[in-house]
Amino acid sequence: MDDLTKEFITESQEGLDRMERCLTELEARPQDSAQLVGEIFRAVHTIKGTTGFLGFSRLEKLAHAGEYLLGSLREGRLAVTEELVSGLLRLLDGLRAIVQLIEDTGNEGEQGSADDKALIAELAALNEEEPPTAGGAHLAPIVVPTDPAAVEPGAGSPSVAVAVQSAVGSNDKTLRIDVDVLNRMMNLVGELVLTRNQMLQSGVEATNFPELARRLDSVTADLRETVMQARMQPVGNLFGKFPRMVRDLARTCGREVRIEFFGQETGLDKSLLEAIKDPLTHAVRNSVDHGIEPPAERLRAGKSSEGCVTLKAFHQGGSVVIEVSDDGGGIATEKVRAKAVERGLVPADTAAAMSEREVLQLIFLPGFSTAAAVTTVSGRGVGMDVVRANIEKVNGSVELDSKVGVGTTLRLRVPLTLAIVPALVVRSGRQSFALPQTTLVELVYIPTRDAAKVIERVGAAEVYRLRDRLLPMVWLDRLLGLNNATDHHGFYMAVLEAEGCRYGLVVDDLLAPEEIVVKPLSTVLREIGLFSGATVLGNGTLALILDIAATAARAGVKPVAEEDEDQVVEVHQTDEESFLVFEDKARERTALPLEIVERIESVPLSQVEYANGRPLLQYRGELLPLRDDGRVLDEVELAGGNLDDVAATILICGEAGSKTGQRMGVVVRRVLDVSEGSLIQDDGAAGGGELALVKDRLTTIFRGFEQKPDWKEVA
Amino acid sequence: MKTAVKQEMMLEEAENVSLCSMFAGEDIFGIDTAQIREVLGKRDLERVPMAPAFVAGVVPYRGDVLTTVSFRALLGLPESAEAGCVLVLEDDDVRERFGLVVDSVGGVVTVNSRMLEVNPCTLESRCKWLFDGAYKMPSGLMVRLDPQKLRPTRLAESGMFRQGSSGDAA
Repeated sequence: MDDLTKEFITESQEGLDRMERCLTELEARPQDSAQLVGEIFRAVHTIKGTTGFLGFSRLEKLAHAGEYLLGSLREGRLAVTEELVSGLLRLLDGLRAIVQLIEDTGNEGEQGSADDKALIAELAALNEEEPPTAGGAHLAPIVVPTDPAAVEPGAGSPSVAVAVQSAVGSNDKTLRIDVDVLNRMMNLVGELVLTRNQMLQSGVEATNFPELARRLDSVTADLRETVMQARMQPVGNLFGKFPRMVRDLARTCGREVRIEFFGQETGLDKSLLEAIKDPLTHAVRNSVDHGIEPPAERLRAGKSSEGCVTLKAFHQGGSVVIEVSDDGGGIATEKVRAKAVERGLVPADTAAAMSEREVLQLIFLPGFSTAAAVTTVSGRGVGMDVVRANIEKVNGSVELDSKVGVGTTLRLRVPLTLAIVPALVVRSGRQSFALPQTTLVELVYIPTRDAAKVIERVGAAEVYRLRDRLLPMVWLDRLLGLNNATDHHGFYMAVLEAEGCRYGLVVDDLLAPEEIVVKPLSTVLREIGLFSGATVLGNGTLALILDIAATAARAGVKPVAEEDEDQVVEVHQTDEESFLVFEDKARERTALPLEIVERIESVPLSQVEYANGRPLLQYRGELLPLRDDGRVLDEVELAGGNLDDVAATILICGEAGSKTGQRMGVVVRRVLDVSEGSLIQDDGAAGGGELALVKDRLTTIFRGFEQKPDWKEVA
Repeated sequence: MKTAVKQEMMLEEAENVSLCSMFAGEDIFGIDTAQIREVLGKRDLERVPMAPAFVAGVVPYRGDVLTTVSFRALLGLPESAEAGCVLVLEDDDVRERFGLVVDSVGGVVTVNSRMLEVNPCTLESRCKWLFDGAYKMPSGLMVRLDPQKLRPTRLAESGMFRQGSSGDAA
């Protein structure tokens, strides 16, 4: 195949992808039809123009017919109807099939096949007039009656499958790279050449040779990083295929479905993206097919007739999670249980004793997938074992959450063998370890002189009292059998949370937070089970990435039994906010919305200064006004002692969402907890202040922060 | 006529093997140069806690994290501050790349395969498994090693070298 044809294929595939996107949008946003139709027209027109030039007349004929129809649409002679969009989508499939054929075989296949003729006739019928006989597109004189099977939406299922396959197939060989990344690569290659030249000129004996070698090393490392970055593709590339699929599928199954995306920019290695493509397609198909109920049923259940499938991608605990959730009928666990027993997958008594969560896992059993009756009744089950097998092949995992009447969420978790994660690098026993930031809840510094006081013991287990809850402590150096580092001023405790386990990991020191590239370990080292990979740090040394959940398990930390609470929260999620609960006045609990609290600082009283009778704090080169509603400062000061030793707890608050806004400090007696709460609507008894129920206790919501003008004047 | 000479040379070459000599403890060892990808020289190794005793640590190598095998540990020798010369070995079939840490690397020696003699029957089992015979060099004996057997996975499977793991105590 010559370069011109290759270029044509790539260009056409991109054009067709664009066309597909526009077509699905056309239905959703008819008000933008002029612009969208224009774009579709251009795509088809380009194909037509180039094919004529390259001599692919079959493709040209089809494109011509489409262009003619689109022309009418553009001029406003036709209205956008469902039928029209379906017809255009079939044109898209037709064009795509031919382009694919050219790519595979180098020629466009048989001229004037029956399929093409039917399609051209259909397009003509949609145009409501005789097709023109231009461009050699000579049609049979009789206007072929539109094949009902081709138009009727109900019969579209085989073509749906074909369309999905071809749509997914086209992106395999080409890769979209940010021009910036490419430029950086080119720069680095230039640098590489320069360094090589210098090396050749100076020779091994030259005095600057070690320096050149180092430069070569760093350039190569940079280049490698850049190429690796180029391999990282946003998952949005994969999501782009779904609107069309969902539309066709919804049509076929008689559902009304909308699809929404979140976190499309989440990066995932190209190879992993390929690996999750099929399972994800399957999951989305399941959601539409079995998850979302028919419109009538939805209305009866008090939901809107249009169902919603949500695709969400994000990083979590060293892996990329892709969630496919629907707001459909959910899975009736009773039916799953009954079916599993009936199929002989589990003994009846075992099934009866299973928790709901365990029952849902049954769906992933291989034998379960063939149970057609269950899929129609309870929601899911077709080929879930295949989904799981495929994800597990890339060392991922699949979770399923479902609530009858509320919906189902399928969570695909894939490791990020190459993905870039933010991590905190810590040191313990003279070695560096990386902790994924996503598992990190907070950091606590424990000075050596306080250690004996704050670390308490229950039997042999050491615990730390964190906001009145006991947190098990795990010493990393002891757990890993490392040499204990020499005496130091104190140590840090990283409060970590993974898979429901919460514990404090004690490390010697914190180094910088870094974006790290995860490199896999060899089998022997993977078998240790404590490290999920290794990474090269900015300074060139290696650090092992700690598997937080596995470390918890090794140290014997058990998941906290908070599941019931979580579920309650999940249901009311919409009207709940996260609050930081603290005590400032003697008998009251006060809370601040969590998103405005930036840090919690313990400040020696000697650092609190006064101006005009108001307390102020110099904080990181900024002057922070302090709010002290509970007169905590006076109280602490009265309690006596050296001002350097007595400390007040101050919450550093910033305006949510903006880093530039005026910040302030709130002096509190002590911080209690972070939890979800709901505001109590228009409550007369509150006397101006807002009240909320946080963990079923009455709490005042601190709104002093909104009185900005006052504080500006002070500052 | 010419081809005949060439063939003769090839025959000769087939019998000659070029080995890279290396030192660990007081002995000399040799590995076929074809199986050595690179000699990295002395490197700082990042130790891996809880790893089997034969793992010397990990080292960055061409974008990968290379697991290295401490040859001293395999021989049951105490760790030495001197050691740390890393060779990168690669086998063709399993595509496993790993490092071997020895005291130092000598140079390339060409030996005749006729000089090879099998392991003595009195050799202890660990060494019998590791060694692949010895070449009778004029200067002394050079023990032949088979990189296949030095692969970390293979060593772990053999179960012979797990003892003394730093993690066992924890």
